[in-house]
Amino acid sequence: MAVKEVLLYPDPRLKEICSKIEQIDATVDSLLQDLVDTMVAAGHSVGIAAPQIGDTRRAAVVDVAKSKLGKKQKNHGLLQMVNPEILEKAGDQVVREGCMSVPDYTGNVNRAERIVIQFLNREGQLQVIRAEGFEAIAIQHELDHLDGHLFLDRISSLKTDLFRRKQK
Amino acid sequence: MQHFALTIIGRDRPGIVSQVAEILYRLGFNIADSSSSILGGQFSMILLISNPAISSKEEFSDAFTPLEESNLSVFIRTLKPGGEVRPEMAGELCMISVYGADKPGIVYQVSKELGDRKINITDLNTKLIGDESRPVYVMMIEALLPAGVGIEEIEGWMTELKKKLQVDISIRSLIAMEL
Repeated sequence: MAVKEVLLYPDPRLKEICSKIEQIDATVDSLLQDLVDTMVAAGHSVGIAAPQIGDTRRAAVVDVAKSKLGKKQKNHGLLQMVNPEILEKAGDQVVREGCMSVPDYTGNVNRAERIVIQFLNREGQLQVIRAEGFEAIAIQHELDHLDGHLFLDRISSLKTDLFRRKQK
Repeated sequence: MQHFALTIIGRDRPGIVSQVAEILYRLGFNIADSSSSILGGQFSMILLISNPAISSKEEFSDAFTPLEESNLSVFIRTLKPGGEVRPEMAGELCMISVYGADKPGIVYQVSKELGDRKINITDLNTKLIGDESRPVYVMMIEALLPAGVGIEEIEGWMTELKKKLQVDISIRSLIAMEL
Protein backbone atom coordinates (compact mmCIF):
# COMPACT_ATOMS: atom_id res chain seq x y z
CA MET A 1 0.00 0.00 0.00
CA ALA A 2 1.82 2.99 -1.25
CA VAL A 3 1.75 5.98 -3.48
CA LYS A 4 4.32 5.27 -6.17
CA GLU A 5 6.21 7.61 -8.37
CA VAL A 6 4.54 8.01 -11.76
CA LEU A 7 7.12 7.26 -14.43
CA LEU A 8 7.63 9.80 -17.14
CA TYR A 9 8.44 9.13 -20.74
CA PRO A 10 11.19 8.31 -21.90
CA ASP A 11 11.30 5.65 -19.22
CA PRO A 12 11.57 2.47 -21.32
CA ARG A 13 9.06 0.62 -19.16
CA LEU A 14 6.32 2.78 -20.65
CA LYS A 15 6.98 1.26 -24.05
CA GLU A 16 7.00 -2.37 -22.96
CA ILE A 17 4.36 -4.93 -23.74
CA CYS A 18 3.25 -6.03 -20.29
CA SER A 19 3.05 -9.64 -19.31
CA LYS A 20 -0.11 -11.54 -18.50
CA ILE A 21 -0.77 -12.17 -14.85
CA GLU A 22 -1.06 -15.92 -14.33
CA GLN A 23 -2.22 -15.90 -10.77
CA ILE A 24 -3.78 -13.31 -8.53
CA ASP A 25 -1.54 -13.51 -5.51
CA ALA A 26 -0.51 -11.08 -2.81
CA THR A 27 1.85 -9.23 -5.15
CA VAL A 28 -0.99 -8.55 -7.57
CA ASP A 29 -3.22 -7.43 -4.74
CA SER A 30 -0.61 -4.98 -3.54
CA LEU A 31 0.04 -3.80 -7.11
CA LEU A 32 -3.66 -2.97 -7.46
CA GLN A 33 -3.62 -1.15 -4.15
CA ASP A 34 -0.56 0.84 -5.21
CA LEU A 35 -2.32 1.75 -8.44
CA VAL A 36 -5.39 2.95 -6.56
CA ASP A 37 -3.29 4.88 -4.05
CA THR A 38 -1.21 6.50 -6.76
CA MET A 39 -4.26 7.38 -8.84
CA VAL A 40 -5.95 8.96 -5.83
CA ALA A 41 -2.80 10.82 -4.83
CA ALA A 42 -2.50 12.28 -8.32
CA GLY A 43 -5.63 14.34 -7.79
CA HIS A 44 -6.48 14.86 -11.41
CA SER A 45 -6.16 11.29 -12.56
CA VAL A 46 -9.03 9.00 -13.52
CA GLY A 47 -6.90 5.97 -14.17
CA ILE A 48 -3.45 4.52 -14.11
CA ALA A 49 -1.79 1.46 -15.56
CA ALA A 50 0.85 -0.73 -13.92
CA PRO A 51 3.75 0.24 -16.22
CA GLN A 52 3.25 3.86 -15.17
CA ILE A 53 4.46 2.86 -11.72
CA GLY A 54 7.16 0.61 -13.09
CA ASP A 55 5.42 -2.77 -12.93
CA THR A 56 5.12 -4.34 -16.34
CA ARG A 57 2.27 -6.69 -15.58
CA ARG A 58 -1.16 -6.39 -17.13
CA ALA A 59 -3.08 -4.46 -14.52
CA ALA A 60 -4.78 -1.09 -14.47
CA VAL A 61 -7.31 0.83 -12.44
CA VAL A 62 -9.90 3.32 -13.60
CA ASP A 63 -12.32 5.45 -11.62
CA VAL A 64 -14.14 8.21 -13.41
CA ALA A 65 -16.75 8.64 -10.68
CA LYS A 66 -14.70 11.29 -8.90
CA SER A 67 -14.03 13.43 -11.94
CA LYS A 68 -16.12 16.42 -12.88
CA LEU A 69 -17.08 15.11 -16.29
CA GLY A 70 -17.11 11.41 -15.55
CA LYS A 71 -19.52 11.50 -12.66
CA LYS A 72 -22.22 12.95 -14.87
CA GLN A 73 -22.11 9.87 -17.02
CA LYS A 74 -22.94 6.24 -16.46
CA ASN A 75 -19.94 4.55 -14.90
CA HIS A 76 -18.82 1.63 -12.80
CA GLY A 77 -16.92 3.53 -10.14
CA LEU A 78 -13.61 1.99 -9.24
CA LEU A 79 -12.50 -0.72 -11.65
CA GLN A 80 -9.51 -2.81 -10.69
CA MET A 81 -8.55 -4.78 -13.74
CA VAL A 82 -6.19 -7.68 -14.22
CA ASN A 83 -5.50 -8.91 -17.76
CA PRO A 84 -8.13 -6.62 -19.23
CA GLU A 85 -9.13 -7.15 -22.82
CA ILE A 86 -11.45 -5.25 -25.09
CA LEU A 87 -13.93 -7.66 -26.63
CA GLU A 88 -15.99 -5.23 -28.65
CA LYS A 89 -15.76 -1.67 -29.82
CA ALA A 90 -18.44 0.51 -31.35
CA GLY A 91 -18.80 4.10 -32.37
CA ASP A 92 -16.18 6.74 -32.59
CA GLN A 93 -15.37 9.78 -30.49
CA VAL A 94 -12.59 12.30 -30.51
CA VAL A 95 -11.25 13.40 -27.20
CA ARG A 96 -8.46 15.66 -26.09
CA GLU A 97 -6.26 13.48 -23.93
CA GLY A 98 -3.34 14.09 -21.68
CA CYS A 99 -1.30 11.62 -19.68
CA MET A 100 0.52 11.82 -16.37
CA SER A 101 3.51 10.13 -17.99
CA VAL A 102 3.71 12.74 -20.76
CA PRO A 103 3.25 16.04 -18.94
CA ASP A 104 2.36 19.33 -20.60
CA TYR A 105 1.01 17.88 -23.79
CA THR A 106 -2.48 17.08 -24.93
CA GLY A 107 -3.72 15.84 -28.25
CA ASN A 108 -6.86 14.78 -30.04
CA VAL A 109 -7.32 11.03 -29.99
CA ASN A 110 -9.92 8.87 -31.65
CA ARG A 111 -11.48 6.35 -29.32
CA ALA A 112 -14.37 3.94 -29.55
CA GLU A 113 -17.47 5.34 -27.96
CA ARG A 114 -18.66 2.10 -26.43
CA ILE A 115 -16.65 -0.93 -25.46
CA VAL A 116 -17.17 -4.30 -23.89
CA ILE A 117 -14.25 -5.37 -21.75
CA GLN A 118 -13.35 -8.46 -19.88
CA PHE A 119 -10.97 -8.64 -16.95
CA LEU A 120 -10.30 -10.38 -13.69
CA ASN A 121 -11.21 -8.28 -10.72
CA ARG A 122 -9.15 -7.98 -7.57
CA GLU A 123 -10.79 -11.11 -6.21
CA GLY A 124 -9.89 -13.02 -9.34
CA GLN A 125 -13.41 -13.23 -10.71
CA LEU A 126 -13.97 -12.83 -14.41
CA GLN A 127 -16.03 -9.74 -15.18
CA VAL A 128 -17.46 -8.53 -18.45
CA ILE A 129 -18.75 -4.97 -18.52
CA ARG A 130 -20.00 -2.43 -20.99
CA ALA A 131 -18.52 1.02 -20.75
CA GLU A 132 -19.23 4.16 -22.69
CA GLY A 133 -18.27 7.80 -23.00
CA PHE A 134 -15.71 9.09 -20.57
CA GLU A 135 -15.23 5.77 -18.82
CA ALA A 136 -14.68 3.98 -22.13
CA ILE A 137 -12.03 6.54 -23.06
CA ALA A 138 -10.22 6.10 -19.77
CA ILE A 139 -10.23 2.31 -20.08
CA GLN A 140 -8.92 2.42 -23.65
CA HIS A 141 -6.18 4.83 -22.61
CA GLU A 142 -5.07 2.65 -19.69
CA LEU A 143 -5.22 -0.57 -21.70
CA ASP A 144 -3.00 1.03 -24.32
CA HIS A 145 -0.34 1.42 -21.63
CA LEU A 146 -0.29 -2.36 -21.19
CA ASP A 147 0.80 -2.70 -24.82
CA GLY A 148 3.37 0.06 -24.65
CA HIS A 149 1.20 2.55 -26.50
CA LEU A 150 1.02 6.14 -25.36
CA PHE A 151 -1.71 8.53 -26.46
CA LEU A 152 1.00 10.11 -28.59
CA ASP A 153 0.76 7.00 -30.78
CA ARG A 154 -2.95 7.61 -31.26
CA ILE A 155 -3.16 11.31 -32.01
CA SER A 156 -5.52 11.68 -34.90
CA SER A 157 -5.21 15.34 -35.72
CA LEU A 158 -3.30 18.47 -34.96
CA LYS A 159 -5.76 20.64 -33.11
CA THR A 160 -8.55 21.46 -35.53
CA ASP A 161 -8.31 19.00 -38.38
CA LEU A 162 -11.43 20.41 -39.93
CA PHE A 163 -9.35 22.39 -42.34
CA ARG A 164 -7.11 19.62 -43.47
CA ARG A 165 -9.71 17.43 -45.10
CA LYS A 166 -9.87 18.84 -48.55
CA GLN A 167 -7.85 21.55 -50.17
CA LYS A 168 -9.45 23.36 -53.04
CA MET B 1 19.90 31.17 -22.82
CA GLN B 2 18.72 33.68 -25.39
CA HIS B 3 15.69 32.53 -27.35
CA PHE B 4 14.50 33.79 -30.70
CA ALA B 5 11.25 33.48 -32.54
CA LEU B 6 11.75 32.68 -36.18
CA THR B 7 8.96 33.03 -38.70
CA ILE B 8 9.23 31.95 -42.29
CA ILE B 9 6.62 32.20 -44.98
CA GLY B 10 6.56 31.60 -48.69
CA ARG B 11 4.92 29.80 -51.58
CA ASP B 12 4.37 26.21 -50.55
CA ARG B 13 6.54 23.51 -52.07
CA PRO B 14 8.15 20.33 -50.78
CA GLY B 15 11.43 20.90 -48.97
CA ILE B 16 10.85 24.13 -47.08
CA VAL B 17 10.99 22.51 -43.65
CA SER B 18 14.16 20.60 -44.41
CA GLN B 19 15.81 23.70 -45.85
CA VAL B 20 15.04 25.63 -42.68
CA ALA B 21 15.88 22.76 -40.37
CA GLU B 22 19.22 22.17 -42.06
CA ILE B 23 20.31 25.75 -41.53
CA LEU B 24 19.29 25.61 -37.87
CA TYR B 25 20.95 22.25 -37.37
CA ARG B 26 24.23 23.36 -38.93
CA LEU B 27 24.26 26.47 -36.73
CA GLY B 28 23.62 24.38 -33.64
CA PHE B 29 20.17 25.72 -32.84
CA ASN B 30 17.59 23.91 -30.78
CA ILE B 31 14.01 24.07 -31.96
CA ALA B 32 11.61 24.18 -29.05
CA ASP B 33 7.93 24.85 -29.68
CA SER B 34 7.00 25.30 -33.30
CA SER B 35 3.97 25.35 -35.48
CA SER B 36 3.79 25.24 -39.25
CA SER B 37 0.87 25.17 -41.60
CA ILE B 38 -0.39 25.85 -45.07
CA LEU B 39 -2.47 28.99 -45.44
CA GLY B 40 -3.83 29.31 -48.93
CA GLY B 41 -0.82 28.60 -51.13
CA GLN B 42 1.65 29.78 -48.51
CA PHE B 43 3.55 27.64 -46.10
CA SER B 44 4.26 29.35 -42.82
CA MET B 45 6.51 28.34 -39.99
CA ILE B 46 6.82 29.78 -36.52
CA LEU B 47 9.59 28.41 -34.33
CA LEU B 48 11.13 29.19 -30.98
CA ILE B 49 14.85 28.55 -31.28
CA SER B 50 17.90 28.87 -29.08
CA ASN B 51 21.60 28.24 -29.27
CA PRO B 52 23.88 28.31 -26.22
CA ALA B 53 26.59 30.03 -28.26
CA ILE B 54 24.44 32.74 -29.79
CA SER B 55 23.06 35.75 -28.00
CA SER B 56 22.13 38.22 -30.71
CA LYS B 57 20.35 37.86 -34.01
CA GLU B 58 23.13 39.61 -35.90
CA GLU B 59 25.27 36.57 -35.24
CA PHE B 60 23.15 34.28 -37.40
CA SER B 61 20.66 36.25 -39.47
CA ASP B 62 22.88 36.04 -42.56
CA ALA B 63 22.52 32.27 -42.52
CA PHE B 64 18.97 32.66 -43.82
CA THR B 65 19.98 34.48 -46.99
CA PRO B 66 19.57 31.27 -49.03
CA LEU B 67 15.97 31.12 -47.85
CA GLU B 68 15.34 34.69 -48.91
CA GLU B 69 16.91 33.84 -52.24
CA SER B 70 14.47 31.00 -52.68
CA ASN B 71 11.57 33.38 -52.16
CA LEU B 72 10.88 32.74 -48.50
CA SER B 73 10.46 35.66 -46.13
CA VAL B 74 12.31 35.35 -42.86
CA PHE B 75 11.77 37.30 -39.69
CA ILE B 76 13.67 36.93 -36.44
CA ARG B 77 12.43 38.26 -33.14
CA THR B 78 14.67 38.39 -30.09
CA LEU B 79 12.74 37.24 -27.07
CA LYS B 80 12.96 38.87 -23.69
CA PRO B 81 14.21 36.60 -20.90
CA GLY B 82 11.51 34.09 -20.01
CA GLY B 83 9.58 34.81 -23.20
CA GLU B 84 10.00 31.19 -24.24
CA VAL B 85 8.16 29.89 -21.17
CA ARG B 86 4.46 29.31 -21.48
CA PRO B 87 2.79 30.85 -18.45
CA GLU B 88 0.55 28.73 -16.32
CA MET B 89 -2.88 29.29 -17.79
CA ALA B 90 -5.78 28.41 -15.60
CA GLY B 91 -9.34 28.19 -16.75
CA GLU B 92 -11.73 26.06 -18.68
CA LEU B 93 -10.73 25.32 -22.23
CA CYS B 94 -13.46 25.69 -24.78
CA MET B 95 -13.95 25.52 -28.49
CA ILE B 96 -15.94 28.15 -30.32
CA SER B 97 -17.15 27.63 -33.87
CA VAL B 98 -18.25 30.60 -35.91
CA TYR B 99 -19.42 30.18 -39.48
CA GLY B 100 -21.62 31.88 -41.97
CA ALA B 101 -21.75 33.83 -45.19
CA ASP B 102 -18.52 35.75 -45.54
CA LYS B 103 -18.64 39.39 -44.56
CA PRO B 104 -16.22 41.92 -43.13
CA GLY B 105 -15.69 42.01 -39.40
CA ILE B 106 -16.39 38.45 -38.27
CA VAL B 107 -12.99 37.95 -36.69
CA TYR B 108 -12.95 41.42 -35.19
CA GLN B 109 -16.41 41.39 -33.67
CA VAL B 110 -16.11 37.92 -32.19
CA SER B 111 -12.60 38.41 -30.85
CA LYS B 112 -13.52 41.79 -29.41
CA GLU B 113 -16.29 40.21 -27.36
CA LEU B 114 -13.79 37.65 -26.10
CA GLY B 115 -11.03 40.14 -25.41
CA ASP B 116 -13.36 42.48 -23.56
CA ARG B 117 -14.18 39.62 -21.22
CA LYS B 118 -10.55 38.67 -20.68
CA ILE B 119 -11.07 35.41 -22.50
CA ASN B 120 -7.70 34.31 -23.81
CA ILE B 121 -7.61 32.88 -27.34
CA THR B 122 -5.08 30.05 -27.39
CA ASP B 123 -5.61 28.94 -30.96
CA LEU B 124 -7.42 30.42 -33.91
CA ASN B 125 -7.98 29.15 -37.40
CA THR B 126 -10.02 30.75 -40.12
CA LYS B 127 -10.79 29.51 -43.56
CA LEU B 128 -12.78 30.70 -46.49
CA ILE B 129 -14.71 27.81 -47.96
CA GLY B 130 -17.49 27.30 -50.47
CA ASP B 131 -17.46 28.59 -54.03
CA GLU B 132 -16.73 32.11 -55.12
CA SER B 133 -20.35 33.03 -55.60
CA ARG B 134 -21.28 31.97 -52.08
CA PRO B 135 -18.22 32.17 -49.88
CA VAL B 136 -18.58 30.84 -46.37
CA TYR B 137 -16.33 31.89 -43.56
CA VAL B 138 -15.35 29.38 -40.92
CA MET B 139 -13.54 30.36 -37.76
CA MET B 140 -12.48 27.95 -35.04
CA ILE B 141 -11.33 29.34 -31.75
CA GLU B 142 -9.82 27.59 -28.82
CA ALA B 143 -10.05 29.80 -25.76
CA LEU B 144 -9.55 29.74 -22.04
CA LEU B 145 -12.44 30.93 -19.94
CA PRO B 146 -11.28 32.74 -16.82
CA ALA B 147 -12.67 31.68 -13.47
CA GLY B 148 -16.27 32.69 -13.08
CA VAL B 149 -17.06 32.81 -16.80
CA GLY B 150 -19.28 29.92 -17.79
CA ILE B 151 -20.23 28.54 -21.16
CA GLU B 152 -23.85 29.55 -20.57
CA GLU B 153 -22.85 33.16 -20.10
CA ILE B 154 -20.99 33.19 -23.39
CA GLU B 155 -23.91 31.57 -25.14
CA GLY B 156 -25.99 34.43 -23.83
CA TRP B 157 -24.09 37.26 -25.45
CA MET B 158 -23.43 35.16 -28.51
CA THR B 159 -27.09 35.07 -29.29
CA GLU B 160 -26.86 38.83 -29.83
CA LEU B 161 -23.75 38.53 -31.91
CA LYS B 162 -25.29 35.81 -34.05
CA LYS B 163 -28.15 38.12 -34.95
CA LYS B 164 -25.89 41.08 -35.57
CA LEU B 165 -23.44 39.21 -37.77
CA GLN B 166 -25.91 36.73 -39.22
CA VAL B 167 -23.56 33.84 -38.50
CA ASP B 168 -23.84 30.63 -36.56
CA ILE B 169 -21.89 30.37 -33.36
CA SER B 170 -21.58 27.44 -31.03
CA ILE B 171 -19.43 26.85 -28.03
CA ARG B 172 -18.56 23.72 -26.16
CA SER B 173 -16.33 22.76 -23.35
CA LEU B 174 -13.11 21.12 -24.43
CA ILE B 175 -12.07 19.09 -21.49
CA ALA B 176 -8.70 17.49 -21.81
CA MET B 177 -8.82 14.18 -20.01
CA GLU B 178 -5.78 13.81 -17.83
CA LEU B 179 -5.20 10.10 -17.57
